[in-house]
Amino acid sequence: MLIRRFVTAGTLAIALPFCAHHACAHEGTGHHGGRIVDAGPYHIELVTKDRRVEVTIYDAKEKAVSPAGFKGTAILVVGGKPARVVLAPSGAGLSGEAEVALGAAPKGVVQITGPDGAAASGKFN
Amino acid sequence: MFPFRLPAAPHALALALALLALPFLSAHLAGSVQAHEGHDHGAPQAPVSKTIAPRGEASSAAFELVAIPRGDAIVLYLDRFATGEPITDAALEVETPSGPAPATPEADGRYRLPAPWLAARDPGQDHLDLVVTVTAGADVDVLSLAVALAPARESAAAAPTHAEHASEGWMQGLKERLTEKFAARDPGAGLFAAGGFALGLAAMALMRAGRRAPVLAVLVLAATLVLGATAFAHEGHDHPETRAAFVPPPTDLAQRLADGAVFVPKPTQRLLSLRTQVAAEGAFRRTVSLPGRIIPDPNASGVVQSSVGGRLAPPPSGTFPRLGTKVRAGEALALVTPPVQRVDLSDMRQRQGELDQQIAIVQRRVDRYLKLSPSGAVSQVQLDEAQDELKGLKDRRTALDRIRQEPEVLTAPVGGVIAEAAAVAGQMAAPGQMVFQIVNPERLWVEALSFDALTPAADATARMADGRTLPLAYQGAGLADRNQAIPVQFAIQGGSEGLRVGQFVTVLAATDAEQHGLALPRASVVRNANGQDVVYAHTAAERYEARPVRVAPLDGSRVLVEAGVTPGTRVVVQGAELLDQVR
Repeated sequence: MLIRRFVTAGTLAIALPFCAHHACAHEGTGHHGGRIVDAGPYHIELVTKDRRVEVTIYDAKEKAVSPAGFKGTAILVVGGKPARVVLAPSGAGLSGEAEVALGAAPKGVVQITGPDGAAASGKFN
Repeated sequence: MFPFRLPAAPHALALALALLALPFLSAHLAGSVQAHEGHDHGAPQAPVSKTIAPRGEASSAAFELVAIPRGDAIVLYLDRFATGEPITDAALEVETPSGPAPATPEADGRYRLPAPWLAARDPGQDHLDLVVTVTAGADVDVLSLAVALAPARESAAAAPTHAEHASEGWMQGLKERLTEKFAARDPGAGLFAAGGFALGLAAMALMRAGRRAPVLAVLVLAATLVLGATAFAHEGHDHPETRAAFVPPPTDLAQRLADGAVFVPKPTQRLLSLRTQVAAEGAFRRTVSLPGRIIPDPNASGVVQSSVGGRLAPPPSGTFPRLGTKVRAGEALALVTPPVQRVDLSDMRQRQGELDQQIAIVQRRVDRYLKLSPSGAVSQVQLDEAQDELKGLKDRRTALDRIRQEPEVLTAPVGGVIAEAAAVAGQMAAPGQMVFQIVNPERLWVEALSFDALTPAADATARMADGRTLPLAYQGAGLADRNQAIPVQFAIQGGSEGLRVGQFVTVLAATDAEQHGLALPRASVVRNANGQDVVYAHTAAERYEARPVRVAPLDGSRVLVEAGVTPGTRVVVQGAELLDQVR
């Protein structure tokens, strides 16, 4: 009985940090149906619709950050060619218009520059 | 012996141990939890050694990029991810703090990005975030690159400590110093721990005894000791920043790091021409190595022998063919004149005389019959008979002459090259003696001795002493035992330049048994100082790690790695020997 309790406690003690570790590497779908990746101290969500690029910034606890003071650039590969999109604050995130229609999930990099001037980027594959 | 009651001992011991363990445990847990809180996966790794300049690297499925700030520019090195081959003609567009800018290729294969904004950066900034768009032929990729920057002088002094981290930092500092001291087997650290333990015991005992004031006194004493120890440690301990001031400027030398990995900067990688290959698992036929010997193809080689004993003479062309001369099939190589014995000679002379005499008689008869035949005195039949007899006698006489004079012509049975020549003018050749051996150098075989029966369709290769390999095609195996082995013959496929008949080779023939593993070129496996087989895995852009492996022979040019490397690892296949020399 005692042994079982010890084993349970030990397993939990070992497993919990691992769970926490996995939880923080949260690549996946975000609140707006886009892909979420890490970018420096932030998490960013990328949503592309036709030619429009929308980026939402979250902090480490998945809370949306006001885009005021942020600027950004998205470089997305579409049809074997890179498309550079300048992002500016609009609404709850950063957004911009590309010159060509982007697919549903183009691969590329989104770089954001915070109000403090530090840049961070997230890679979308 | 002790100033407290014995039953209290286990509790006190547990408490004291818990007190001791707490900082370590909390620091450990805090560390793992902090991984999320601190959220620094985007930040570049600290330089692996003080002598290596800060840098940044990024990689994708196609490319591997390294960026090193040098003065007011950033130098970029671009390579293929899988092979490590430098790409020198790509177009690089970099997203810098002052907008997009191209990096221009330079003559030595690197790219240079002018970075005047580097001087104007925020001194507190320890890394630079760049986005590089790489276009190399049909491959386009966007790489996110975090470049570490050398700490600015003033930033180190003014590095602010966040209020909420202050206590944690103190605890962390104490823990680090203690660990350091324990690691250095400092007796002070042991004393410190023992003192803490004793104080804990004392506090517990006094608490049990119900005395408040002494407990307080012990705790105050403990606090003083701990704080004092920290203060002393602080004084005696060098700040990393002050220590860093005496470190010579980074030189970027290839070096073996403390963890056994090898750091090789990109310029050195290019100098050593390091190339990698992504290891892939597969099923391979096991091979056996057999001792073999090169033999001429039986259908494309021949010997020239004299069928009669006789005197050798050069062919009508005037000279015997030398070694290495190319000959066609049917070409005359030598003449053999059979000698005529003395007794045979007299016999022949006698026979010749007889024949001459008979010819003279018959000739006269024919002449006479010719005169008489028109008048009908001699029948036509008689004349014809006499003429036939004369013809027969003359033929016999000619044959006798020819036998005395005509030599036997030795001709080449096949086309090829004279591999062996034993002809000297005037030499007496015995019947059956080999005068020339002809070999077609384009068609050579290998005969190997196998101790077990090989599968007929198996592929094989021959490895020569100089490391060259020859592809072989199975021809057949004998059944007759020779030295407890059976001879197996293979035809050499492709070019056979520089081979000679009789040369020893090692034949690697595939067997039925299949093995699973990773096939790597033979040159990728090197032996380290303690005699272990290792391969070098390319784990980061400028980092190579030796991985001990178990290898089995596969064929002439490859080995099979059975354990030690996982599929998908980039393994150094060229220059591993040079990499192994880095100290």
